[in-house]
Amino acid sequence: MRHAPQWHRILAVLITGTAVMLPLAIIVYQSLLDAPFFQPSAKLSLSAFRFVLTDGDFHRAFATTAILATGMTAVAVPLGAILAFLLVRTDLPGRNWLEPVVLIPIFLSPVVIAFGYVVAAGPVGFFTLWAKQVVGAAPWNIYTLLSLTLIAGFTHIPYVFLYTSSALRALGADVEEAASIAGAGAARIALTVSLPMVRPAILYSAVLVFFLGFEIFGLALVLGDPGGLLVLSTYLYKLTNRLGVPSYQLMAVVAVIIIAIAFPLVYLQRRLMGIASRFVTVAGKGFAQRPLRLGRLRWIAFGGVLFWLAATVLLPLSGVFLRAFVSAWGEGVRLTEVLTLENFRELSDYPNLVRGITNTLGIAVIGGALAVAWYAIVGLATHRWQSPWAKVMDYLVMVPRGMPGLIAGLAFLWVFLFVKPLSPLRSTLFSVWLAYSVVWLAYGMRLISTALLQIQPELEEAAAIIGAPGARVTRDVTVPLIRFGLLGSWLLVFMIFVREYSTGVYLLGPGTEVIGSLIVSLWGTGAIDIVAALSVVNVLLVAAGLAVALRLGVRLHG
Amino acid sequence: MRQTCLFAALLPILLITIAASPDPKAPATSAQIVAGAEKEGKLVVYSTTDSASAAPLLKDFGAAYPKIALEYNDMNSTEVYNRFVSEAAAGSGSADLLWSSAMDLQIKLANDGYAQEYQTPEAAHVPSWALWKNEAFGTTFEPIAFVYNKRLLKAEEVPQSHADLIKLLKANPDRFKGKVTSYDPERSGIGFLLITQDARTDPAFAETEKTYGKVGVKLYTSTGAMMERISSGEHLIGFNMIGSYAIAKMRKDPALGIAYPKDYMLVMSRVAIIPKAAKHVNAAKVFLDYLLSVRGQEIMGNRAALFSIRPDVQGETTAASLTKQMGSSLKPIPVSPALLVYLDQSKRLEFLKQWQEALGTK
Repeated sequence: MRHAPQWHRILAVLITGTAVMLPLAIIVYQSLLDAPFFQPSAKLSLSAFRFVLTDGDFHRAFATTAILATGMTAVAVPLGAILAFLLVRTDLPGRNWLEPVVLIPIFLSPVVIAFGYVVAAGPVGFFTLWAKQVVGAAPWNIYTLLSLTLIAGFTHIPYVFLYTSSALRALGADVEEAASIAGAGAARIALTVSLPMVRPAILYSAVLVFFLGFEIFGLALVLGDPGGLLVLSTYLYKLTNRLGVPSYQLMAVVAVIIIAIAFPLVYLQRRLMGIASRFVTVAGKGFAQRPLRLGRLRWIAFGGVLFWLAATVLLPLSGVFLRAFVSAWGEGVRLTEVLTLENFRELSDYPNLVRGITNTLGIAVIGGALAVAWYAIVGLATHRWQSPWAKVMDYLVMVPRGMPGLIAGLAFLWVFLFVKPLSPLRSTLFSVWLAYSVVWLAYGMRLISTALLQIQPELEEAAAIIGAPGARVTRDVTVPLIRFGLLGSWLLVFMIFVREYSTGVYLLGPGTEVIGSLIVSLWGTGAIDIVAALSVVNVLLVAAGLAVALRLGVRLHG
Repeated sequence: MRQTCLFAALLPILLITIAASPDPKAPATSAQIVAGAEKEGKLVVYSTTDSASAAPLLKDFGAAYPKIALEYNDMNSTEVYNRFVSEAAAGSGSADLLWSSAMDLQIKLANDGYAQEYQTPEAAHVPSWALWKNEAFGTTFEPIAFVYNKRLLKAEEVPQSHADLIKLLKANPDRFKGKVTSYDPERSGIGFLLITQDARTDPAFAETEKTYGKVGVKLYTSTGAMMERISSGEHLIGFNMIGSYAIAKMRKDPALGIAYPKDYMLVMSRVAIIPKAAKHVNAAKVFLDYLLSVRGQEIMGNRAALFSIRPDVQGETTAASLTKQMGSSLKPIPVSPALLVYLDQSKRLEFLKQWQEALGTK
């Protein structure tokens, strides 16, 4: 029934495609040159590929990264899915307050989380010293690949949680109730009914987490350096310096290789998904969600969630909070003697602090909403569209996140410098917003398309049959049905924009400072005490905002 | 009462007289350039000195030249370079002055023809090794020192020279295993610069690097990561640490100590250049003169912990106080094309290969 011209759909795809392809094209072109692309002397050459592919460090970094990405996906996906089931569908104690807490790792800078682990459980961290005192030795070492993988896995659980929980929320409870009446316990229902039904959301998040593993930087820098672990993004760091001046062509090659990994991944995901209609879960029938009773499992599950929270949120945050309130820490320090509020006083004197916080919140709240609007338009445009264009979009959205922060920042600078129609926008917040929105396209888009996939076509078809034009179907049927998806998406994008920094690093300037740039500049000179204080302020601010948002959201759900 | 009134009436005249008499500490910028700068009204600086450290300096500059609006962008040295060369290639707006601790990259920019000449009236007061062709200007005198943990390293153990450090490490290989830290020459430009200077200056360098390898030196990219780990006791001592950062941190952190090696101590300098394409040329010149003037240098030497380079400036963190303490063992890294040697790819890779072999990481 949709034989009308599809120009609005094509337009949405084209605009998004251009936004993705511009930085990508520069990177690919740069990878095929022997000098910076803007130098007249640059010639086409495969020398950069030869250099990288024959570099022992690259092989080492690639292998480590592959292990890290696989391992963290294996950890984050099952645990994240179970966590979502517990919080959304069961009578788990305290699930209302748990939700905002679960999301904390998303908006914290990974460098800060990693540093929190060092203060808490590093070789001279306070838990380590305490364990040494009590049992004589600390049985852990947070600088190994195993620890890094576990920590990365644990801190990426919230992503899986977000996708899965929003899908679960839209899931009709009738099948679960049927299973429950037939005598299935909560665990069985989760594993054989609920989670399989939200398989698209879980698969999406698996691919994304795996891909994020390739891009991991902050955790690897802080936790990997002492053990000499080299991952692709820290290898990129080497390439900025190894030849004296930053070697853009070598960095571009690494980015191209990571992007190349996206294609088989997306293909695999599409294959695993099969036909999307198998996962239709929002049907035209009314239903009421009632939480499943966990019974005896209730407190065991609660204990499990608390353990994860302790390891992922409490442990690193206790490190960061502690660091914010002491003047020194570590071996031979009595904590009661070094307590101080000096770090906060100094932070309050820091130039541009208030502006940095305001800018961050502004970009995150308003920019996040605009980004979600964009993602929703593209999502709706490709919704139920059997066209090669839609397939292309699936691949396109994943690509930008393949560019590690170090190179993505440069790529966006180049876009705004060398694409002349865009250059007047370079020093405005629009450039920062565009960079952020493109890089996180995969996240927002996936959340929206997960929600969209779950609407049974008959709902939209019913509207169309009684004569509603396409736009009206979208406005009155589709959009209202995905409103939870849109809200959740906005929340996710908000939190990621709070933390994002590297993509905008070359576009930010005086007046457009964000918390991320303040943290990096403080970190660089060693003012880690102030970084800790700033992170505490950051956590409190976002947690407060989140609690308010969820409170409003809860009312909307009701 | 009448006298007070008289005084009040005369006060403005008095003030004008004071203002008109030349202040020996003020920058000697020509009136014409200052007027030009005030007409431009704006100045864009890309700098590796973070806003907090530079704050006293920027505030004072604002007080001295209220008509010049200073737009100060702090970023790391790679970012300064990347951003500047990209903007220059696109022919779009960029910085009026680059102020960076990556001495070699600054010289490279000047050598590649990006910098313009300026005869600063302050030149006579700046050591000649810090100036190159009136294009690149060293502005600070920052000691490269050992930073150690005071709680865990006894006072008598603190090394007084590079040879001392090696002796200490060799005598206690187990205690120092994994406890020594420095910049990673592979990933950090300043780390590379310093270790190549060591290779040139330290007569026993082959032995030195082998010893670093034996104790499994931990290499990082950021000053913050290293000093925090020394302070906590995760590491005991760091070599080739930038003194200005260490001293700023020591003022708050009682666990950190700094030791100046007496056999030789490298000294680095933040280098300023004015790009040819600078839009606010006069303002850039005013800022450069200010950085090198007694007024600016006194702030570096007493409030900003950046170590003033002028021998005639007195204070806690100054070239003068270091010279008094260390004499001829100071080895400033000259602002000169000699810094370009290791920007040659093959030489650089060769050095890194040799370094990794000595460390035993390859």
